[in-house]
Parts: sequence; C-alpha cells; structure tokens
Amino acid sequence: MMTPQDIPLYEEVVNGFNRLSAADALGRESSDLRRTRQSAFERFRESGFPTIKNEDWKYTNIARWLKDEYALGGIPGGSGGAAAYGAVAENVRAAVERARVAELDAYIVLLVNGVWQKEDAGGLPKGVELLTVAEARQDPALSGYFERPADGRERYFAALNTALFSDGLFIRVDAGALPAKPLHIIHVFTADHNLLVQPRHVWVVNRQAELKVIESVVTAGVGTGAEAADDKGQATAKIWVNSLTEIIVHSDAKVDHTVVQTPGERTRLVQHTTVRQKRQSLYNNYNFTFPGADLVRNDLQIRLEEDHTETHLYGLYLAAGQQLVDNHTLVDHQKPACFSNELYKGVLLEQSTGVFNGKVYVHRDAQKTNAFQQNNNLVISKKATIDSKPELEIFADDVKCSHGSTVGQFSEEALFYLRARGISEDTAKGLLINAFAFDVTEKIKTAAVEAHVNQLISQHIPLTHA
Amino acid sequence: MANDNEIIDNIANKEYEFGFVTDIEMDVAPAGLNEETIRYISAKKNEPDWLLDWRLKGLQAFGRQKLPEWQNFALPTIDFQKISYYAAPKSKKKYDSLDQVDPELLATFEKLGIPLSEQKTLAGVAVDVVFDSVSVTTTYKEKLRELGIIFCSFGEAVREHPELVRKYVGSVVPYSDNIFAALNAAAFSDGSFVYIPKGVRCPMELSTYFRINTENTGQFERTLIIADEGSYVSYLEGCTAPMRDENQLHAAVVELIALENAEIKYSTVQNWYPGDKDGKGGIYNFVTKRGICKGANAKISWTQVETGSAITWKYPSVILQGDNSTGEFYSVAVTRNKQIADTGTKMHHIGRNTRSRIISKGISAGQGQNSYRGLVQIGPKADEARNFTQCDSLLIGDRCGAHTFPYIESKNNTATVEHEATTSKIGEDQIFYLNQRGIDSEKAVALIINGYAREVLNQLPMEFAVEAQKLLSITLEGSVG
Repeated sequence: MMTPQDIPLYEEVVNGFNRLSAADALGRESSDLRRTRQSAFERFRESGFPTIKNEDWKYTNIARWLKDEYALGGIPGGSGGAAAYGAVAENVRAAVERARVAELDAYIVLLVNGVWQKEDAGGLPKGVELLTVAEARQDPALSGYFERPADGRERYFAALNTALFSDGLFIRVDAGALPAKPLHIIHVFTADHNLLVQPRHVWVVNRQAELKVIESVVTAGVGTGAEAADDKGQATAKIWVNSLTEIIVHSDAKVDHTVVQTPGERTRLVQHTTVRQKRQSLYNNYNFTFPGADLVRNDLQIRLEEDHTETHLYGLYLAAGQQLVDNHTLVDHQKPACFSNELYKGVLLEQSTGVFNGKVYVHRDAQKTNAFQQNNNLVISKKATIDSKPELEIFADDVKCSHGSTVGQFSEEALFYLRARGISEDTAKGLLINAFAFDVTEKIKTAAVEAHVNQLISQHIPLTHA
Repeated sequence: MANDNEIIDNIANKEYEFGFVTDIEMDVAPAGLNEETIRYISAKKNEPDWLLDWRLKGLQAFGRQKLPEWQNFALPTIDFQKISYYAAPKSKKKYDSLDQVDPELLATFEKLGIPLSEQKTLAGVAVDVVFDSVSVTTTYKEKLRELGIIFCSFGEAVREHPELVRKYVGSVVPYSDNIFAALNAAAFSDGSFVYIPKGVRCPMELSTYFRINTENTGQFERTLIIADEGSYVSYLEGCTAPMRDENQLHAAVVELIALENAEIKYSTVQNWYPGDKDGKGGIYNFVTKRGICKGANAKISWTQVETGSAITWKYPSVILQGDNSTGEFYSVAVTRNKQIADTGTKMHHIGRNTRSRIISKGISAGQGQNSYRGLVQIGPKADEARNFTQCDSLLIGDRCGAHTFPYIESKNNTATVEHEATTSKIGEDQIFYLNQRGIDSEKAVALIINGYAREVLNQLPMEFAVEAQKLLSITLEGSVG
C-alpha cells in the first residue's frame, strides 16, 4: 500500500497549497473563503487520496494512476492553466468540433482546462448571466457560494478541489427566465506535460427559471483514443481532472442537465456534482460515459433540501479497454413528499470494469418519499468486471422505496429470435446492445442530443466486440 | 384507537417472557483472556495438544485484529478481559436417562417449552441440550449411531473422532477470519458436532437448544457439521436466554461442510433477551456462520428467524465451490424497541453452474434498526452462475429504520445476477380491506406480517415454523399505527 508520502501528487498539492497561502496568490478572496479552503485542505491532508479501504472507493483502485507525477495546474507558481494550451490550440479546435452536437441550436461556451474562453461569447440567452469563477469568487456578492460548499465535510478529491480551485464557470439564471436556447458547455482538457486541473463551477437557477445544459467533456493533446486521427503519436502527457460542480435549483425552477463524457486515453476524470433542490423544483440528469479515459469517476449527489421536489437521474456507461467507469450517486431525501427516480445502465466490453453505487437516503422527516432506483449491467466480455452496490437507508416509515440491480448477458431467446430471421450473430448482438441502451437514450428530451448520443453508441459498439 | 395504544404500550413494556435465572452450581473460570485462560479451558476439557495449539493461534490472531468499523451501528465497547470464558455445571456426570438429570435443569427446560421429557414420542427430535457451555445430555444418540451418524458435543467429538475434527475444524471459518471468530477459536467452550456418513439421509431433525446462563459468561459455541457424499441433514438451532442487565456477548462459530451431492439445511430461531425498552441489557449476537459446498451438486440452505438480541450481527454464508452447487438464505429479522440487526449473507460463486437464492425480510418497529448487508460474488470460473436476491423491509412506526447494502461483484460474463429490494409500510389499503371483512386491525397486521414472512417461514421444519409464527405475532402485535 502506498502511503500519502509515496504519492508524488500528494507532495505537489501540499507544496501548492503552501505557496497559495503564503503569497495571496488567488487574489482578493474573502477571509471566509480562505478559512473554507484551509479547513478543506486539512481534511484532505487527513484523508489523503482514497484507497480501496475507503468504502466509497472499495472497487476503484486509483493507485496505478497516482504513481504518475502531475504538475498542479491553475494556480500561480504551478504550471498549465489557460496559457499552456496555446501550443496545441489546433487540437483544441479539433476537440471542439468533435464535441459539437449536430443541428443543436445552442449557445456554446468553451472552457479549456476549466477556464472560460470569453472571446467566444456573444448572443447569450436572455436572463442568463455567465462569469468566470476567477471573477465570481472575488466578488463579495457572490463569494458566499464558495465559502459554504453544500457538503462542509467532504474529503478526498472534493476537499482538494475546494482547497485549490481557481477558475470555472459561474452561471446565474434570473428568476422566471425561460432561456430560448440551451447552453452547450464544451470542456476541453489539454496538456503537454502531466497535469492536474481542478475546475470549479457554480450554477444558480433562481425561482421559476429554467436551464437546459449540455456538457461535453473532451480532451485534446492528451491521449489518442477516439481522437487518434487528429493528434497521432504526438501526446503522451497524462491529465487528471478533478472537477466539482454545485448546482442550486431554487423553488419551482427546472434544470435539464446532460453530460457526455468522451475524454481520450491517459485522462483520469473525477467529476463531483452536488445539486441542491428547493421546493417544487425539478432536476433531470442524463449522464453518458464512453470508452476513452482511463478512469471516470462520477459522484452525483442530489440534496433534496425542501419538499415536493422531483428528480430523474439517467445514466449510461459504455466501458472498454482497461477502462474503469465508476458512478456513485446519492439521493438525499431530507424533506417530505419528494420523488426521485434513477436508472443507470452499463455495457462492459473488453477488460473494462464498471462500478455502480447508488444510495438513497431517507431522513426521518422525509415522509411520503417515493424513491426508485435501478441498475442494469450487460457484461459482454469474458474479462470485464462489474461491481454494483445499490443502497437504501431509510428512517421514515411512510415511504415507497425500491431498488433493483441486475448483471447479465444477452437473452438467449432474443438472440435466437433475431438469428432465426436471418440476422448475423454480430448484428443481432449490436441490435440488442442498442436496445438495452435505448431505455436511457429515449429519455433525452432534445432530439439533436439524443441523435448525438446514439451516434456515439454505434461508434463505440463495433460489432466485433460481441 | 385507544385500544391500539394500550396494546402498543403492553407490547412495548412487555417483560421478556423467558427471562429467569436458573440456580445451578457453576464451575466458572476467572474472568479475562490470556494464554493462561486458554490453557485452563483446554486442560479442563482434557484436550489434545493440537487443539491447544490451534486455540493459541486463535488467541494470537485475536490480539492482531481490530474491531471492525464498517457496520451500520455503533459497536458498544466490549471489555474482553471482563468476560469469563468458561462455565460448566459442576456436577459433571453422565446421564443414562432423564431421571438422573438435575430436576431444576429440567424445570428450566419446561419453562422454555422444550418438550425434552416427551420428546421420545414427539416429532422425533433429538436434542443435544447445551446448558451454557457443556453438553449435558444427548437423546436419540443410539438410534443415530445405528446409521453411523455422529451427533455429539464438540468436546466428545474431539475425544472420540479427533481425525474428523482435526480435518475440518477451521477449514471453513479459519481462526484468523475475523476478530470474533478468532476469539471463538481461542476460547470456544463447547458446541455440537454432526457427521453424516456417505449416502445416509438423517431420519430426524437434529436440534440444539442453546441457553445462556451464569452472569458474565460469554458463550462461545462452535458447531461443526459435515455431510459426507450423498447425505442429507436438517439441523435446528433455537435459543432463548434469561433476563440480564449486563450485556452478554455471544460469539459463536458455525461451520458446515457439504461434500458431493450432500445437502445441509440449517435453521435458526433466535429469541435471546433483547434488552428492556430502553435498550438496556440484551445479548450481543455476533456469530460467524459459513458453509462450503465442497463437492459437485452439494446444497446448503440457511434459514433464520431473528427476533431477539440487542444486536444481531451475522452473515450466514455459502462458498459454492463444487460445480452445480446451490446456496440458499432465507431470513426474517424483527427489531423493535432499540434492537439492532445487521444481517444478511454472502454467496461466493466459484464453481460452474452454481446457483444461489436470497430472500430477506426485515421488519422494523419502535426504534429498531434493521440492515440487510449481502454480498454476491461471481468468480471468473463460475460460468452460468445464477443468483436471485430479494430483500424487503417493512417499517412500523416513524422512529425505526431499514437499510439495504447489497454488494454485487461479477467477474464472469455468463453469470446472471438479480437483486431487488423494497421498503414500505403496511399499506392502509391492505388493513382497510381486511377491516371491511370484519377482521380487526390487530389481527390484520398479524395476518399481513405472516403473509409477508411466509416465504421464509415455509422453509422451516414443521415444529419450528409453528414456534416462529407465534414468535412473530407476539413480537409485533399491537404495532398498528
């Protein structure tokens, strides 16, 4: 087992934090935010990087990726950040093109290593305001969003992000605003040397407002994977993305949030998302993970802080190669009469590993809770592994909660049915995988996004896998 | 409604029916756990050196291990040095018939409702009575002996069948398995031993009634059941314990070994003292139970009805090593007042075509906390393995809790694993439906609970099923509302 001191990155972040506190490097931040950073950093020092001895990381062994050295991006005295991508700007452009959703009429926001490229701004939907987190965190009117993270006791990567974040995207939707177009946020991560980047995003959707967001996560200049044609043999740099997003959905507001993750190889992506829902709000999340990155770890936490909310979580993960895709979700029912529904489906190819952990927590006050959760896994390859752990923790009695989890193979009958109609075995299997995924993709409300996701599925399910 | 409240109060305040202390002279070892104690126990029992060595290894393993922290409850501090590790009735004679047994002991059993004296005519139950730690009397031994079945106390087995004990003890639950198993390995007092020879179908249910007696005596039973090729045995374990103020630790170990084509059915009704309504006193039931289907087509089935103990913490497991072997787990766990149950099972699929089925029904009332924790593990060689898991929780009252922690780990693409869980309260519509038909709410709840638990109760042997059903009704009567 590695002790924290054996991990080169540990030393790097400790030095980084010391530089930060010494030099006021992050500008005019409030003393509360500094305290928040300090206590988060202390929690990180205490917890270190997670190991498989930590229940939440039991199946996700990150030791092999922590052996690499990474430079700390985004803070002064470190390296990387916005300036570093200039050399591979061409690749960034190419990556943006790959992330683009055909025929989607959206307002495009480009972030490179977590830094908003404002020059692309213009034509922002009415009632929507965008700021860089670098500005927002220094603005006394907004710094409260950073001083009090949703979970004040977070550890590991989330604590590290709180301690060291410098930039990201701040979105504010005015009360009652109904933007005509969705936002398409394209996150490009790029590095010419091993790098840790830690973007932090805060989105505030005010009362009775609506926000539709499509997020695409791609890489340029790291790895090859799907982007092999663009930057062949050029890059060997590794990038670790430790991203944290907080979304506040005020009462009667609606948020439709789609995430498409297609970063390339040598990317280690840890994405933490906390959603705070207020009275009668609606939050829908659609999460799609495709082969490419070495590690994708999504922590999606929904905190139902007021009554009568509605939440839908849909996820689809296709994993291939040596990839490890880990989805942790938490639906925290704190108040009465909330409804939550979750469906995650996984297809495991080659030697990939899938991890699903879905927790539904019902507090004593949360009577009349309705919570459903389902996780289905299709294990295609002999060498693939799946670890599924649905959890229910219930302290209220007038509730309806259930979860189901399955691990299985193609239905012999379905295969036979197709074969009997003259369809080749490979094609039949491809059809069945698509049908399996359909339950999730059909939930996407925007046709263009649905088509985009379906296109990615067929691209990643070459029939030879079957 | 007033009536209901009254009943609730009655139930909540109900004294533990089986709480009484039998006054029999006891031979008690001084409290404390160290090499000396272990040697004392071993010497008392005239054990061979290999067993003493094994106990000492267990003691070392105990010293190396820490108390677990992953469980879903706060583990009370247990002072292992305050426990006396050996207690045996002093008058240690061999009895030929029941007449010679201490009449007070017999009276105890009568209070418990164990039909020991009538058993010869009843149901064909052979009871190996464990009074605290040492086996006092064994009935039906002769009849079983004719078939070559060995059913005796663990100590006797060590003396008379050392080759069998030595071969299998610790082979399923090694002394280093966990801290409580290590404690048991070091300090186990006695227990039961069963060996069913090749091709023999045991003609009767084998049964052991456990009782915990003598204050401050942790009970460390060790049960070892071996079903040789093609044999069958059904084993019952039932428990009640006297009322106590001080918590008592029970850290038993049960090992089952099913060879090719053999089947073992192990049933438990556990109704130890759960503590009073404030959660004071009560037994800590920390048991390690594991079986192995060693040969092809073997089958192990665990059935448990858990209504007692302050804390029930156990995961009867099956290692499905032989091809085509089967593991089953059926459980009803009831918690009320401040009781805690953290129970479930582990199914390790190793061989091809192995199957497992898990049915768990949790019922929480009052401030009871009920957790299902289960592991279904499919190894890379377990082609076509199949698992089905269903765990349902029923909540009665707004201060209780139900928790589900299933772990599914599959390393084989031909395996099929299904898990489903639900949590709900008793439906008002269900009670209304029964009320409409002239059934009062009280009876309606009993009816619904029994229906809810039926799938599990049906797995119990006849005698037990009746007892269990009664137990459920008594435990939950009046919890409507």
